[in-house]
Amino acid sequence: MTDYGTARRPEHLAAVPTPPADVGDLLRAVARGDEAAFARLYDLVAPRVYGLIRRVLRDPAQAEEVAQEVLVEVWRTAARFDGSRGSATAWVFTIAHRRAVDRVRAEQASADRTLKVGAASVDTPYDEVVDEVSGRLERQQVRHCLDDLTELQRQAVTLAYYQGHSYREVAELLGTPLPTVKTRMRDGLIRLRDCLGVEVMA
Amino acid sequence: MGTDVHSLVGAYVLDAVDDLERVAFERHVQECDACRTELDELRETSARMADSTWSVPPPRMRTEVMAAIGRTRQLPPPEPAAPAHKSRETRVRRWTLAAAAAVVLAAGTGTTVYAIQDQRVRDQSAVAAAAELREARIQSILASPDLVVRTSPVRGGGTLTVASSVTRNAAVVSLGADRAPASNQAFQLWSIHGSTPADAGVMAAGAGSAVAVVDGLPGSDALGVTLEPAGGSLTPTEPLYAKVSLT
Repeated sequence: MTDYGTARRPEHLAAVPTPPADVGDLLRAVARGDEAAFARLYDLVAPRVYGLIRRVLRDPAQAEEVAQEVLVEVWRTAARFDGSRGSATAWVFTIAHRRAVDRVRAEQASADRTLKVGAASVDTPYDEVVDEVSGRLERQQVRHCLDDLTELQRQAVTLAYYQGHSYREVAELLGTPLPTVKTRMRDGLIRLRDCLGVEVMA
Repeated sequence: MGTDVHSLVGAYVLDAVDDLERVAFERHVQECDACRTELDELRETSARMADSTWSVPPPRMRTEVMAAIGRTRQLPPPEPAAPAHKSRETRVRRWTLAAAAAVVLAAGTGTTVYAIQDQRVRDQSAVAAAAELREARIQSILASPDLVVRTSPVRGGGTLTVASSVTRNAAVVSLGADRAPASNQAFQLWSIHGSTPADAGVMAAGAGSAVAVVDGLPGSDALGVTLEPAGGSLTPTEPLYAKVSLT
Protein backbone atom coordinates (compact mmCIF):
# COMPACT_ATOMS: atom_id res chain seq x y z
CA MET A 1 0.00 0.00 0.00
CA THR A 2 2.89 2.28 0.57
CA ASP A 3 4.35 1.48 -2.82
CA TYR A 4 4.32 4.83 -4.54
CA GLY A 5 5.02 3.24 -7.88
CA THR A 6 1.48 1.93 -8.08
CA ALA A 7 -0.07 5.37 -7.86
CA ARG A 8 -1.46 7.07 -10.93
CA ARG A 9 1.42 9.48 -11.17
CA PRO A 10 4.65 8.28 -12.80
CA GLU A 11 7.26 7.24 -10.29
CA HIS A 12 9.82 9.86 -11.21
CA LEU A 13 7.42 12.56 -10.07
CA ALA A 14 6.40 10.82 -6.89
CA ALA A 15 9.83 11.34 -5.35
CA VAL A 16 9.58 15.11 -5.73
CA PRO A 17 7.91 17.03 -2.87
CA THR A 18 4.39 17.23 -4.22
CA PRO A 19 2.89 20.70 -4.59
CA PRO A 20 -0.54 21.25 -2.99
CA ALA A 21 -2.29 21.25 -6.37
CA ASP A 22 -1.76 17.51 -6.64
CA VAL A 23 -3.93 16.80 -3.65
CA GLY A 24 -6.90 17.28 -5.96
CA ASP A 25 -5.68 14.62 -8.40
CA LEU A 26 -5.00 12.25 -5.55
CA LEU A 27 -8.41 12.84 -4.05
CA ARG A 28 -10.09 12.09 -7.38
CA ALA A 29 -8.13 8.84 -7.58
CA VAL A 30 -9.12 8.06 -4.00
CA ALA A 31 -12.76 8.55 -4.98
CA ARG A 32 -12.27 5.66 -7.42
CA GLY A 33 -11.05 3.43 -4.61
CA ASP A 34 -7.30 3.82 -5.23
CA GLU A 35 -5.65 2.91 -1.91
CA ALA A 36 -2.15 3.77 -3.09
CA ALA A 37 -3.36 7.26 -3.95
CA PHE A 38 -4.86 7.47 -0.48
CA ALA A 39 -1.51 6.53 1.06
CA ARG A 40 0.14 9.40 -0.79
CA LEU A 41 -2.67 11.75 0.12
CA TYR A 42 -2.20 10.69 3.73
CA ASP A 43 1.47 11.63 3.65
CA LEU A 44 0.64 15.04 2.24
CA VAL A 45 -2.18 16.05 4.54
CA ALA A 46 -1.92 13.95 7.73
CA PRO A 47 0.61 16.21 9.50
CA ARG A 48 -1.61 19.23 9.01
CA VAL A 49 -4.80 17.34 9.86
CA TYR A 50 -3.23 15.99 13.03
CA GLY A 51 -1.53 19.29 13.81
CA LEU A 52 -4.73 21.28 13.41
CA ILE A 53 -6.81 18.91 15.50
CA ARG A 54 -4.13 18.74 18.16
CA ARG A 55 -3.96 22.48 18.30
CA VAL A 56 -7.71 22.72 18.86
CA LEU A 57 -8.06 19.78 21.27
CA ARG A 58 -4.67 20.10 23.01
CA ASP A 59 -4.69 16.46 24.03
CA PRO A 60 -2.45 14.36 21.74
CA ALA A 61 -4.33 11.09 22.36
CA GLN A 62 -7.68 12.62 21.55
CA ALA A 63 -6.20 14.41 18.57
CA GLU A 64 -4.92 11.12 17.23
CA GLU A 65 -8.32 9.51 17.59
CA VAL A 66 -10.14 12.37 15.87
CA ALA A 67 -7.50 12.65 13.14
CA GLN A 68 -7.98 8.98 12.34
CA GLU A 69 -11.72 9.48 12.06
CA VAL A 70 -11.19 12.44 9.77
CA LEU A 71 -8.81 10.62 7.46
CA VAL A 72 -11.12 7.64 7.17
CA GLU A 73 -13.94 10.10 6.48
CA VAL A 74 -11.86 11.57 3.65
CA TRP A 75 -11.57 8.10 2.17
CA ARG A 76 -15.27 7.40 2.65
CA THR A 77 -16.61 10.65 1.20
CA ALA A 78 -13.96 11.45 -1.43
CA ALA A 79 -16.53 11.22 -4.22
CA ARG A 80 -18.42 14.11 -2.63
CA PHE A 81 -15.56 16.53 -3.13
CA ASP A 82 -16.62 19.26 -5.56
CA GLY A 83 -13.64 21.00 -7.14
CA SER A 84 -15.72 23.96 -8.27
CA ARG A 85 -16.31 24.96 -4.64
CA GLY A 86 -12.68 25.01 -3.53
CA SER A 87 -9.41 23.14 -3.29
CA ALA A 88 -9.02 19.55 -2.13
CA THR A 89 -6.79 20.58 0.77
CA ALA A 90 -9.40 23.06 1.98
CA TRP A 91 -12.02 20.31 1.74
CA VAL A 92 -9.92 18.02 3.91
CA PHE A 93 -9.10 20.68 6.50
CA THR A 94 -12.73 21.78 6.64
CA ILE A 95 -13.71 18.25 7.64
CA ALA A 96 -10.83 18.12 10.12
CA HIS A 97 -11.66 21.44 11.74
CA ARG A 98 -15.33 20.63 12.05
CA ARG A 99 -14.65 17.29 13.67
CA ALA A 100 -12.25 18.89 16.12
CA VAL A 101 -14.77 21.55 17.05
CA ASP A 102 -17.50 18.90 17.30
CA ARG A 103 -15.38 17.12 19.84
CA VAL A 104 -14.86 20.31 21.84
CA ARG A 105 -18.59 21.04 21.86
CA ALA A 106 -19.52 17.48 22.74
CA GLU A 107 -17.24 17.65 25.73
CA GLN A 108 -18.74 20.94 26.80
CA ALA A 109 -22.19 19.43 26.41
CA SER A 110 -21.42 16.52 28.66
CA ALA A 111 -19.90 18.99 31.11
CA ASP A 112 -16.77 16.96 31.57
CA ARG A 113 -14.29 19.14 29.81
CA THR A 114 -11.20 19.09 31.91
CA LEU A 115 -8.41 21.54 31.56
CA LYS A 116 -5.59 19.87 29.78
CA VAL A 117 -2.89 22.08 31.14
CA GLY A 118 0.57 21.03 30.23
CA ALA A 119 -0.38 19.16 27.10
CA ALA A 120 -0.31 22.49 25.32
CA SER A 121 3.25 23.26 26.16
CA VAL A 122 4.78 19.83 25.63
CA ASP A 123 5.49 18.92 22.07
CA THR A 124 5.81 15.31 21.02
CA PRO A 125 9.22 14.20 19.81
CA TYR A 126 7.76 13.88 16.32
CA ASP A 127 7.53 17.65 16.09
CA GLU A 128 11.28 17.96 15.94
CA VAL A 129 11.37 16.22 12.63
CA VAL A 130 8.89 18.39 11.01
CA ASP A 131 9.80 21.90 10.46
CA GLU A 132 12.03 21.39 7.50
CA VAL A 133 9.54 20.31 4.92
CA SER A 134 8.03 21.91 1.88
CA GLY A 135 5.12 23.55 3.65
CA ARG A 136 7.42 25.97 5.39
CA LEU A 137 6.91 28.85 3.02
CA GLU A 138 3.17 28.55 3.25
CA ARG A 139 3.30 28.48 7.00
CA GLN A 140 5.33 31.63 7.05
CA GLN A 141 2.92 33.28 4.67
CA VAL A 142 -0.07 32.48 6.88
CA ARG A 143 1.73 33.82 9.95
CA HIS A 144 2.77 36.93 8.11
CA CYS A 145 -0.77 37.55 6.88
CA LEU A 146 -2.25 36.95 10.34
CA ASP A 147 0.15 39.57 11.69
CA ASP A 148 -1.25 41.93 9.12
CA LEU A 149 -4.74 41.87 10.69
CA THR A 150 -5.87 44.31 13.33
CA GLU A 151 -5.49 43.01 16.87
CA LEU A 152 -9.22 42.38 17.24
CA GLN A 153 -9.54 40.69 13.84
CA ARG A 154 -6.63 38.42 14.60
CA GLN A 155 -7.89 37.49 18.06
CA ALA A 156 -11.42 36.82 16.81
CA VAL A 157 -10.24 34.63 13.93
CA THR A 158 -7.57 32.70 15.81
CA LEU A 159 -9.59 32.10 19.00
CA ALA A 160 -12.28 30.51 16.86
CA TYR A 161 -10.07 28.60 14.46
CA TYR A 162 -7.18 27.43 16.59
CA GLN A 163 -8.98 27.08 19.90
CA GLY A 164 -12.42 26.04 18.72
CA HIS A 165 -14.35 28.78 20.51
CA SER A 166 -17.83 29.77 19.35
CA TYR A 167 -18.26 33.42 18.43
CA ARG A 168 -20.28 33.89 21.60
CA GLU A 169 -17.37 32.58 23.64
CA VAL A 170 -14.99 34.78 21.68
CA ALA A 171 -17.16 37.82 22.45
CA GLU A 172 -17.02 36.95 26.12
CA LEU A 173 -13.29 36.30 26.13
CA LEU A 174 -12.55 39.59 24.40
CA GLY A 175 -15.23 41.58 26.20
CA THR A 176 -16.51 42.70 22.82
CA PRO A 177 -20.13 42.92 21.64
CA LEU A 178 -21.38 39.97 19.56
CA PRO A 179 -22.05 41.94 16.35
CA THR A 180 -18.51 43.32 16.47
CA VAL A 181 -17.07 39.83 16.82
CA LYS A 182 -19.13 38.55 13.87
CA THR A 183 -17.98 41.48 11.78
CA ARG A 184 -14.33 41.11 12.77
CA MET A 185 -14.37 37.42 11.92
CA ARG A 186 -15.73 38.24 8.50
CA ASP A 187 -13.57 41.22 7.64
CA GLY A 188 -10.55 39.56 9.23
CA LEU A 189 -10.97 36.59 6.90
CA ILE A 190 -11.50 38.89 3.94
CA ARG A 191 -8.24 40.65 4.71
CA LEU A 192 -6.51 37.31 5.14
CA ARG A 193 -7.97 36.14 1.83
CA ASP A 194 -6.57 39.19 0.04
CA CYS A 195 -3.18 38.84 1.70
CA LEU A 196 -2.92 35.16 0.81
CA GLY A 197 -4.29 35.75 -2.67
CA VAL A 198 -6.95 33.06 -2.26
CA GLU A 199 -9.22 32.53 -5.22
CA VAL A 200 -11.90 30.00 -5.95
CA MET A 201 -12.76 29.52 -9.55
CA ALA A 202 -16.48 29.66 -10.04
CA MET B 1 -33.17 39.62 7.54
CA GLY B 2 -31.11 38.05 4.78
CA THR B 3 -28.18 40.32 5.40
CA ASP B 4 -28.40 39.55 9.09
CA VAL B 5 -27.94 35.84 8.48
CA HIS B 6 -25.21 36.54 5.97
CA SER B 7 -23.19 38.47 8.54
CA LEU B 8 -22.49 35.04 10.07
CA VAL B 9 -20.34 34.00 7.10
CA GLY B 10 -17.05 34.50 8.96
CA ALA B 11 -18.22 32.73 12.10
CA TYR B 12 -19.73 29.96 9.98
CA VAL B 13 -16.51 29.31 8.14
CA LEU B 14 -14.62 29.21 11.44
CA ASP B 15 -17.13 26.66 12.83
CA ALA B 16 -18.00 29.18 15.51
CA VAL B 17 -21.79 29.09 15.09
CA ASP B 18 -24.32 26.81 16.76
CA ASP B 19 -26.30 24.17 14.88
CA LEU B 20 -29.34 26.29 14.31
CA GLU B 21 -27.34 29.18 12.93
CA ARG B 22 -25.57 26.69 10.72
CA VAL B 23 -28.85 25.43 9.29
CA ALA B 24 -30.13 28.98 8.81
CA PHE B 25 -26.92 30.02 7.10
CA GLU B 26 -26.80 27.00 4.79
CA ARG B 27 -30.38 27.63 3.68
CA HIS B 28 -29.50 31.26 3.09
CA VAL B 29 -26.52 30.38 0.93
CA GLN B 30 -28.57 28.04 -1.24
CA GLU B 31 -30.63 31.01 -2.32
CA CYS B 32 -27.76 33.44 -2.91
CA ASP B 33 -25.08 32.87 -5.54
CA ALA B 34 -22.97 35.87 -4.59
CA CYS B 35 -22.96 34.72 -0.99
CA ARG B 36 -21.75 31.30 -2.07
CA THR B 37 -18.72 32.81 -3.75
CA GLU B 38 -17.81 34.71 -0.62
CA LEU B 39 -18.40 31.58 1.45
CA ASP B 40 -16.16 29.44 -0.77
CA GLU B 41 -13.37 32.00 -0.71
CA LEU B 42 -13.48 32.49 3.03
CA ARG B 43 -13.63 28.73 3.62
CA GLU B 44 -10.58 28.34 1.42
CA THR B 45 -8.90 31.10 3.41
CA SER B 46 -9.67 29.62 6.82
CA ALA B 47 -8.39 26.24 5.65
CA ARG B 48 -5.07 27.87 4.82
CA MET B 49 -4.70 28.55 8.52
CA ALA B 50 -4.14 24.82 8.92
CA ASP B 51 -0.84 25.33 7.07
CA SER B 52 0.73 26.63 10.24
CA THR B 53 -0.35 23.72 12.41
CA TRP B 54 2.00 21.08 11.05
CA SER B 55 2.72 18.29 13.54
CA VAL B 56 3.83 14.82 12.53
CA PRO B 57 1.42 12.19 13.84
CA PRO B 58 2.67 9.02 15.53
CA PRO B 59 3.68 6.51 12.84
CA ARG B 60 1.14 3.93 14.07
CA MET B 61 -1.64 6.27 12.99
CA ARG B 62 -0.80 5.66 9.35
CA THR B 63 -0.94 1.91 9.80
CA GLU B 64 -4.26 2.16 11.59
CA VAL B 65 -5.81 4.50 9.04
CA MET B 66 -4.67 2.35 6.12
CA ALA B 67 -6.16 -0.70 7.84
CA ALA B 68 -9.41 1.16 8.52
CA ILE B 69 -9.92 2.27 4.92
CA GLY B 70 -9.47 -1.36 3.85
CA ARG B 71 -12.70 -2.18 5.65
CA THR B 72 -14.58 1.06 4.96
CA ARG B 73 -17.00 1.25 2.06
CA GLN B 74 -16.90 4.48 0.07
CA LEU B 75 -19.89 6.66 -0.67
CA PRO B 76 -20.97 6.87 -4.31
CA PRO B 77 -20.72 10.22 -6.13
CA PRO B 78 -23.63 12.55 -5.35
CA GLU B 79 -26.64 12.45 -7.64
CA PRO B 80 -26.53 15.37 -10.06
CA ALA B 81 -29.94 16.64 -8.94
CA ALA B 82 -29.05 16.68 -5.27
CA PRO B 83 -25.74 18.47 -4.88
CA ALA B 84 -23.88 19.69 -1.78
CA HIS B 85 -27.02 19.94 0.32
CA LYS B 86 -27.50 16.21 0.85
CA SER B 87 -24.00 15.48 1.99
CA ARG B 88 -24.21 18.31 4.42
CA GLU B 89 -27.21 16.97 6.24
CA THR B 90 -25.15 14.10 7.49
CA ARG B 91 -22.81 16.58 9.00
CA VAL B 92 -25.35 18.34 11.18
CA ARG B 93 -23.37 18.87 14.28
CA ARG B 94 -23.74 18.17 17.88
CA TRP B 95 -25.52 20.81 19.78
CA THR B 96 -23.70 23.56 21.54
CA LEU B 97 -24.54 23.90 25.16
CA ALA B 98 -24.16 27.51 26.14
CA ALA B 99 -22.81 28.15 29.59
CA ALA B 100 -25.68 28.18 32.04
CA ALA B 101 -28.02 27.02 29.33
CA ALA B 102 -31.58 26.01 29.82
CA VAL B 103 -31.75 22.27 29.42
CA VAL B 104 -34.99 21.28 27.81
CA LEU B 105 -36.60 17.95 28.31
CA ALA B 106 -39.72 16.99 26.45
CA ALA B 107 -42.19 15.27 28.72
CA GLY B 108 -44.65 12.65 27.43
CA THR B 109 -47.64 14.94 27.80
CA GLY B 110 -46.38 17.23 25.10
CA THR B 111 -45.69 20.00 27.54
CA THR B 112 -42.16 21.22 27.92
CA VAL B 113 -40.31 20.99 31.16
CA TYR B 114 -37.35 23.24 31.63
CA ALA B 115 -34.72 22.12 34.01
CA ILE B 116 -32.40 25.00 34.50
CA GLN B 117 -28.87 23.83 34.90
CA ASP B 118 -25.74 25.71 35.52
CA GLN B 119 -22.11 24.77 35.56
CA ARG B 120 -22.04 24.34 39.30
CA VAL B 121 -24.48 21.45 39.20
CA ARG B 122 -22.98 18.60 41.19
CA ASP B 123 -24.38 15.65 39.34
CA GLN B 124 -22.36 15.78 36.17
CA SER B 125 -23.71 12.54 34.78
CA ALA B 126 -27.27 13.81 35.03
CA VAL B 127 -26.23 16.90 33.13
CA ALA B 128 -24.57 14.77 30.50
CA ALA B 129 -27.61 12.52 30.15
CA ALA B 130 -29.95 15.48 29.92
CA ALA B 131 -27.73 17.17 27.37
CA GLU B 132 -27.61 14.02 25.30
CA LEU B 133 -31.37 13.56 25.35
CA ARG B 134 -31.91 17.15 24.41
CA GLU B 135 -29.31 16.96 21.70
CA ALA B 136 -30.93 13.90 20.15
CA ARG B 137 -34.30 15.65 20.20
CA ILE B 138 -32.91 18.79 18.62
CA GLN B 139 -31.13 16.76 15.97
CA SER B 140 -34.30 14.91 15.06
CA ILE B 141 -36.17 18.19 14.61
CA LEU B 142 -33.38 19.81 12.62
CA ALA B 143 -33.13 16.75 10.39
CA SER B 144 -36.83 16.71 9.53
CA PRO B 145 -37.45 17.14 5.79
CA ASP B 146 -40.09 19.83 6.25
CA LEU B 147 -37.93 22.07 8.43
CA VAL B 148 -38.61 25.76 7.94
CA VAL B 149 -36.13 28.26 9.33
CA ARG B 150 -37.27 31.78 10.12
CA THR B 151 -35.35 34.60 11.75
CA SER B 152 -36.07 37.97 13.26
CA PRO B 153 -33.84 40.69 14.67
CA VAL B 154 -33.88 41.17 18.43
CA ARG B 155 -34.50 44.59 19.97
CA GLY B 156 -31.07 45.98 20.88
CA GLY B 157 -29.30 43.65 18.43
CA GLY B 158 -29.13 39.93 17.87
CA THR B 159 -31.17 37.25 16.17
CA LEU B 160 -34.09 35.06 17.07
CA THR B 161 -34.12 31.91 14.96
CA VAL B 162 -37.03 29.49 14.85
CA ALA B 163 -36.61 26.18 13.03
CA SER B 164 -39.98 24.48 12.99
CA SER B 165 -41.22 21.20 11.65
CA VAL B 166 -44.92 20.47 11.21
CA THR B 167 -44.38 16.72 11.04
CA ARG B 168 -42.55 16.76 14.39
CA ASN B 169 -44.98 19.36 15.73
CA ALA B 170 -42.08 21.08 17.41
CA ALA B 171 -39.59 23.85 16.89
CA VAL B 172 -36.04 24.57 17.91
CA VAL B 173 -35.75 28.15 19.06
CA SER B 174 -32.41 29.88 19.32
CA LEU B 175 -32.17 33.28 20.90
CA GLY B 176 -28.95 35.22 20.52
CA ALA B 177 -29.29 38.67 22.02
CA ASP B 178 -26.32 40.97 21.75
CA ARG B 179 -27.00 42.31 25.23
CA ALA B 180 -27.57 39.85 28.02
CA PRO B 181 -30.27 40.80 30.54
CA ALA B 182 -29.39 41.79 34.10
CA SER B 183 -28.90 38.89 36.50
CA ASN B 184 -32.38 39.36 37.97
CA GLN B 185 -34.07 39.28 34.57
CA ALA B 186 -34.70 36.58 31.98
CA PHE B 187 -35.97 36.25 28.45
CA GLN B 188 -39.28 34.43 28.16
CA LEU B 189 -40.79 32.81 25.08
CA TRP B 190 -44.46 33.08 24.17
CA SER B 191 -46.38 31.11 21.59
CA ILE B 192 -49.03 33.39 20.19
CA HIS B 193 -52.41 32.24 18.88
CA GLY B 194 -54.24 35.18 17.33
CA SER B 195 -53.61 37.78 20.01
CA THR B 196 -53.37 35.34 22.92
CA PRO B 197 -49.87 34.64 24.23
CA ALA B 198 -49.08 31.43 26.12
CA ASP B 199 -45.92 30.76 28.10
CA ALA B 200 -43.46 28.75 26.02
CA GLY B 201 -40.56 28.70 28.42
CA VAL B 202 -38.26 30.95 30.43
CA MET B 203 -34.55 31.25 29.78
CA ALA B 204 -31.96 31.25 32.53
CA ALA B 205 -31.66 34.55 34.39
CA GLY B 206 -29.05 36.82 32.86
CA ALA B 207 -28.62 34.62 29.78
CA GLY B 208 -28.53 36.45 26.47
CA SER B 209 -28.32 33.36 24.34
CA ALA B 210 -30.11 30.08 24.76
CA VAL B 211 -31.70 27.29 22.82
CA ALA B 212 -35.06 25.69 23.53
CA VAL B 213 -37.36 23.10 22.05
CA VAL B 214 -40.97 24.24 21.94
CA ASP B 215 -43.53 21.52 21.37
CA GLY B 216 -46.67 22.31 19.43
CA LEU B 217 -45.23 25.56 18.17
CA PRO B 218 -46.05 24.97 14.49
CA GLY B 219 -49.76 25.25 15.46
CA SER B 220 -49.22 28.81 16.65
CA ASP B 221 -49.33 32.02 14.67
CA ALA B 222 -46.12 33.47 16.06
CA LEU B 223 -43.38 33.16 18.64
CA GLY B 224 -42.58 36.21 20.75
CA VAL B 225 -39.83 37.05 23.23
CA THR B 226 -40.14 39.42 26.17
CA LEU B 227 -37.86 40.45 29.02
CA GLU B 228 -39.29 39.43 32.41
CA PRO B 229 -38.17 39.17 36.02
CA ALA B 230 -36.05 36.04 36.58
CA GLY B 231 -38.26 32.97 36.61
CA GLY B 232 -40.77 34.45 34.16
CA SER B 233 -44.19 36.06 34.32
CA LEU B 234 -47.74 34.82 33.83
CA THR B 235 -48.45 37.39 31.14
CA PRO B 236 -45.93 39.07 28.85
CA THR B 237 -44.49 42.43 29.76
CA GLU B 238 -44.20 44.94 26.94
CA PRO B 239 -42.23 45.57 24.81
CA LEU B 240 -41.79 42.57 22.58
CA TYR B 241 -38.05 41.97 22.11
CA ALA B 242 -38.46 39.79 19.05
CA LYS B 243 -41.23 38.10 17.13
CA VAL B 244 -41.21 35.50 14.40
CA SER B 245 -44.40 34.96 12.45
CA LEU B 246 -45.13 31.30 11.77
CA THR B 247 -47.91 31.64 9.25
